[in-house]
Amino acid sequence: MLSAILAMAQTRELSGTVKDAANNPVVGATVKVVGKPNVTSTDANGNFSFSVPAGALKLEISSVGFATQTVSVAENSSSVDVSLAASSTNLNEVVVTALGITKEQKKLGYSVTSVNGDQLSKARENNIANSLAGQVAGLSVRGTNSGPGGTSKLLLRGLPSMNGAGSPLYVINGIPIDNSQRGAAGEWGGSDNGDGISNINPDDVESMTVLKGQAASALYGSRATNGVIMITTKSGKKGRKDFAVDYNLNYMAEKAMNLTDFQYEYGQGTLGGKPTNQTDAINTAYSAWGAKLDGSSVLGYDGNSYTYSAVKDNIQKFYQTGNSLTNTISLSKSSETGTFRIGLSYLNNTGIVRNSGLKRYSVSLNADQNITDKLSVFTFINFINQDVSGIAYLSDAPMNVNNVRFLAPNINQASLAPGYDPATGEEMVVGGIYSQNPWFVVNKLQNTTGRNRLVSTVGLKYKFTDWLYAQTKVSYDLIHDNAFKAEPWGTAYRNTTQNGVFASGYLQNLDKSEQHELNVEGIIGAQKKLNDLDLSALAGVNLRKNEYSMNHLSGGPFIQRDYYSYNNLYNKFGSIGFWESQVRSAFYSVDATYNNMFTLGTTGRWDSYSTLPINNAKVFVPSVTAGFIFTELMKPGILQFGKLRASWANTSNELTQAYRTQIYYSLQSNNYNGIPLGTYDQALPNGLLKPFVANEIELGTELRFFDGRLNVDLAWFTKKTKNEIMGATLSRATGYGSGYVATGSTKNTGIELLLSGTIVKSGNFFWKSSLNMTKVKNTILHTTEDNSNINIGQARETLGNLVTSYVVGMAGPQILGYDFRKDASGNTIVDASGVPLASTKLVSLGSVLPTFYGGFNNEFGLTKSISFSFLIDYNFGNKLISMTSRSAMSAGLLKETLEGRENGFVVNGVTEDGNKNTQNVSAQTYWSTVASRITSQHVKDGDFIKLRQVALTYSLPASLLKSTRVLKGAQLSLTARNLFILYKKADNIDPEESFGSTIAYYGIEGRNLPPTRALGVNLKVTF
Amino acid sequence: MRFKILTGVVASSLLFTQCTKNYEKINTDPNQQSPSTFDAEYFLASSQNEYKGAISGYESGFIFESGWAQVLAAPSTGYLSNMDKYLESSNTNDYASRAWNDCYRSAGYAYAIIQKHKDDATKTNLVSCATIMKVMSMQYITDLYGDVPYSEALQGFDGTSLGTIFPKYDGQQAIYTAMLGELDAALTALNTSNAGPKADILYGGDVAKWKKFGYSLMLRMAMRLTKVDAATAKTYAEKAFTGGVFASNADNAFVKSENASGHGSENPRVMTLDGDIEFIRWGKNFINYLKQTNDPRLPIISEVVDVNAAVDIKVAPTTSDVNPSHQYGAPNGKTTSTTSPYYIGNDPDYPGAVGSGTTVAEILGKYSRPRTALYYDLNGPVFFLSYAEVSFLLAEAKFRGFSVGATTAEAYYQQGIAAALGTYSTFNASTGTISAGTISSFASAQALTAGKELELINTQYWLAAGSFLNFSEAWSNWRRSGFPVLTAVTYPAQFSTVIPRRHIYPVTEASNNAEAYSQGVTGLSDGDKWSSRIWWDKP
Repeated sequence: MLSAILAMAQTRELSGTVKDAANNPVVGATVKVVGKPNVTSTDANGNFSFSVPAGALKLEISSVGFATQTVSVAENSSSVDVSLAASSTNLNEVVVTALGITKEQKKLGYSVTSVNGDQLSKARENNIANSLAGQVAGLSVRGTNSGPGGTSKLLLRGLPSMNGAGSPLYVINGIPIDNSQRGAAGEWGGSDNGDGISNINPDDVESMTVLKGQAASALYGSRATNGVIMITTKSGKKGRKDFAVDYNLNYMAEKAMNLTDFQYEYGQGTLGGKPTNQTDAINTAYSAWGAKLDGSSVLGYDGNSYTYSAVKDNIQKFYQTGNSLTNTISLSKSSETGTFRIGLSYLNNTGIVRNSGLKRYSVSLNADQNITDKLSVFTFINFINQDVSGIAYLSDAPMNVNNVRFLAPNINQASLAPGYDPATGEEMVVGGIYSQNPWFVVNKLQNTTGRNRLVSTVGLKYKFTDWLYAQTKVSYDLIHDNAFKAEPWGTAYRNTTQNGVFASGYLQNLDKSEQHELNVEGIIGAQKKLNDLDLSALAGVNLRKNEYSMNHLSGGPFIQRDYYSYNNLYNKFGSIGFWESQVRSAFYSVDATYNNMFTLGTTGRWDSYSTLPINNAKVFVPSVTAGFIFTELMKPGILQFGKLRASWANTSNELTQAYRTQIYYSLQSNNYNGIPLGTYDQALPNGLLKPFVANEIELGTELRFFDGRLNVDLAWFTKKTKNEIMGATLSRATGYGSGYVATGSTKNTGIELLLSGTIVKSGNFFWKSSLNMTKVKNTILHTTEDNSNINIGQARETLGNLVTSYVVGMAGPQILGYDFRKDASGNTIVDASGVPLASTKLVSLGSVLPTFYGGFNNEFGLTKSISFSFLIDYNFGNKLISMTSRSAMSAGLLKETLEGRENGFVVNGVTEDGNKNTQNVSAQTYWSTVASRITSQHVKDGDFIKLRQVALTYSLPASLLKSTRVLKGAQLSLTARNLFILYKKADNIDPEESFGSTIAYYGIEGRNLPPTRALGVNLKVTF
Repeated sequence: MRFKILTGVVASSLLFTQCTKNYEKINTDPNQQSPSTFDAEYFLASSQNEYKGAISGYESGFIFESGWAQVLAAPSTGYLSNMDKYLESSNTNDYASRAWNDCYRSAGYAYAIIQKHKDDATKTNLVSCATIMKVMSMQYITDLYGDVPYSEALQGFDGTSLGTIFPKYDGQQAIYTAMLGELDAALTALNTSNAGPKADILYGGDVAKWKKFGYSLMLRMAMRLTKVDAATAKTYAEKAFTGGVFASNADNAFVKSENASGHGSENPRVMTLDGDIEFIRWGKNFINYLKQTNDPRLPIISEVVDVNAAVDIKVAPTTSDVNPSHQYGAPNGKTTSTTSPYYIGNDPDYPGAVGSGTTVAEILGKYSRPRTALYYDLNGPVFFLSYAEVSFLLAEAKFRGFSVGATTAEAYYQQGIAAALGTYSTFNASTGTISAGTISSFASAQALTAGKELELINTQYWLAAGSFLNFSEAWSNWRRSGFPVLTAVTYPAQFSTVIPRRHIYPVTEASNNAEAYSQGVTGLSDGDKWSSRIWWDKP
């Protein structure tokens, strides 16, 4: 009691402001009394205020991106202003590394990059992973043009592995989370039901740390091969005496971009004529081989007459403006013994496709508490409820709205509305029964998913002494999904009769599934200083259990109109699914630093996998890293800090699918006239699979010049995988469609460079800039046992004629297609009708992976309270497959198809017997034939430079804040995402467009949603 | 003390990792069975179901062979141009590979039965039936594509790991020799006094019927070889006859579809789809032949829809005109686009439009289509092999001088016609039944005119297989026999300027089984083209 009173008597209030060199507030800086436990952090306006001991003292102020500074505070002083010097790599900055272990950045022997959450949440993407585009050297980010809730595809350092996964492991506050994709579009269509990372609310994220190299992520063992992205969520700020309320409002509006540059001279029809009857009008809706557009009257698909003249704004008009409104409120508090933050968020999105949207509720709690001096508990809980409706069908699928891009030039999309006959509900067919009327789709589509997810961890930490601790935690990621997908009543190709009565539609999925991952981890750690040697070590064990179960219902046709229930079906089917797996692991990590100059680290991990054959289930993966701060041996000059680092690591990956090591027989879900039907999986098991291994060597340096005005971080890496487990498609003659082989090997070698610094600093004005660039070369070293190509992706229109494939000796996903057939003298060879023939073999047409990419981030302080930033990102060296080109060429929409419209043309070439070609061919015959034959024409250059993000921010000045009393900070930003494509080579499309979200469909576009441009505002208020 | 604890913990951790206890159990699928405990009988029905899928709907017959054999015509510009005009549509490559995929699956199920039970004396009948299914599927594949994997096929799994995943292509001659040998052995082993297969959607486990079916299949296979290897044809045709082939329509091999469980017949589904129904018509030659002979089946199988009465022609109309003199078959290679030089109205035999002639229904309004009241039944039969076809094969065998009984070629011929006319009742008992009297008086009046035997027999075969919607069989027998005489249509940018004589290999073969594929192509007369002739298809 007495000591408490004494303590009170001996404290005083100290407040102040922390600013950077340009007088901008530094948010979240840690302010600590040297030698005392008193600590606090700055708010949104750089202000802090806390109790400190009486008497003169020293404050230590540190923050990400700044050099730590110590200032003296006089006995009677109650306020202090501090200015921090900018630096991208603080000498004493700690970073979160694998397993959540914090380490001093300067001692690391490998490269990690952190991105501040603020940069990701202002001009936001609904999938936070997409916001990393251009931010991190070595990281390539691709969204999917699939509507709200879509998947993000991240590739670290080239092609990290050949197998389907490819995606890095996401870890939130130490919890590895499930990032599996719920259905993706492929060549046969489908829809993108999103990934796991897209569930995370950007407002909860404090920072994202990218562990790029294998050495950085090796402690994660099995799932580290593709890199790790660690997400740290916001927590209660230490030292604030009262609670804080933060409110954030974000609104983004997105609009479809029309990048097509089609011809508008000739209209709907075939062989130069307009449709003359209604059936032709229906069947030629996507055929621009008609007559010259002359404003005359033409018969439409519905039997009405329309004007035969150009309509150029179908894309802009058909897609509506999408809106995303996010409201987030959080409450945080801390005391000497603990902190907590609770956040609530609601995202309400409407997509650019009518009647599509996403709603996401998110609640998170982040808390820690000391129970005794030695024992503390911590927990993180994030509950997410998400519903997505009107999920778009992509690629080949029926029910795909995106065919609207290929309507003949005279057809107004509005004339297709409402797309169904109001009297019967039947689709008004346009273009054929397998390509639904886009308006029928937007008005009738039944494709929704719902998810309830709980990401949670609870842990205990016990400090035996000041150098030895033990920690245990249980993490659980539980997901309940439901999916509902039906072909609606009236879908033309589903119309049928049952007992003489019209019936229609089909219930494709009424699914409920549960998936969970449980991790139980125990760690013993020690940290000790012995003379000049700093030692830290830990050892631990982890048990991981994954389980999945699913109930699936389907059936059809529906009995009554527009009544979408399992109860309303003539025929009903059902099936179940289940799998489980376990990984048991032990690991260690040891770091030794000598004289603050030389650090040597090593980690190791033993894993055993239940999914692999027992004899091959175990693997050990080690890493060794070294860092050497050579500037410790030099006199300070323009170079204040210089480090050389080197690392070597060996990591493994698992077979994620259970039950692939032996063959199974089972029964199909439907009997045949009462007789059961047996079946077996068309994917071949393999009892000889083993964990695959990746090896990486990384060398790098970090240099800081001119007091942090210029910083250089350079890394070189070379990485090789071995025994990769991959699905290979097999000849059906084997009795199977695909099989697993464990012979894959790929190599990535590259350089990453990050240049950052303050270019201009003058009064309140500053210009900070960072430029990252990655140059990477991928080579496929080994595919199947006999090194034959492994085909992975394609689009249906060019099935087998244009594929992406792993080809030994070439860069990964390599496009293979048919080129023009040439004779020995280089003449084009044509067939009897005068149309060029395709090469006799598939030829290599380039890789879909970029070889040079990165971003250029700029931030300007204009006045004390106004700042402006923009991000440019770029991508070079890749090719893509454009099905837009294929469809538009075949349909006569491309400008080049205007050639020969009136009189046809004679191709300059020779016939198969070597004579000069004299055969005249009509434009339609020529273009539609070469569009399918000469597939190399649809391979486009993927190069681009984009203005990815722009933000203009106004912060309420401290003087105004003080007068409001309740307000601690307020900030308003105007933002934009994907504002302009500054440079591209591919016609009619955005080279980043894609319908598929797996590596198989990387670099293939066609019949996906159009790219969008988004503008928004962000308001952030702290009370 | 702490260090002891620490050491203990570390040591036990390492042990924990190295432990794979329960892994075998964890990694065993609770919803499936291992091959050793699973009752493989149920693969027989799966094999039959896959084969049924392969020969019906869009899997190959309808999308290609129906028009190549000119049984059907489709005056359109869409994907039906694959069959009607030999034009590539956007999904031709996909369609071309479907029969391959389905039949190897069918053969794969059969092979799994054979592998499991080949040495089990109590399962001899099951193994024999599986062998018959495997041979039938493989015949379908090799007849469509030519040289294909056979001796090394279906062996992708070796029990533990990958087996033969790059199976070599065998010459078709070797395939036929092997298939006939296997079939012979299987049929010899079939024992009618033992129980039949229990999961059998074809004959419900009736071994006697399986035996007749097997020998009928052998007869069909033997007769494929008449041009290329007459001696083998004779040997096996006679062996088949001696073994006992189909003796009546009651023996017919067809699978009754079951729509309620998703196993509906794809043939009627295809013919009644909104996008196709408007264009599908019987072929010109097909209807003309039936008309010339006053064939009583014409009003049973063919109709003209009154476009004015039935606005909605997608489903079975309440009234349709089956008057034989009103039936017209449509020519192949035409379109309904009035501005096209291939406009169907320009055909000299165009019967004229109905109504104002402005819609496709009106332009094609006088052409005959497969009669919906007969064929439109998703629970309808899919024919594998019929007594009618067997009778025609015997007629030809007899004509060629093979020892196939005392019956004359003409009697076999008439027997085949009668059998064919009696088969439509299987499609629909009320609309498909032709009276016994009509059948016998028509059949007995059909003479096998000297000098025209092969043409008459094989044209009847074409009418039978075509009207049973077994389009591939109609086309294959046409390729072998050359009858009826058909002329290729011409159209710009065809994938074949002659009537296609095979399917191109699945495009995926060039990458999935590259070396073997290249070898396979050398066995073809003109490379991997639609126009190349397979081994038994000699000019």
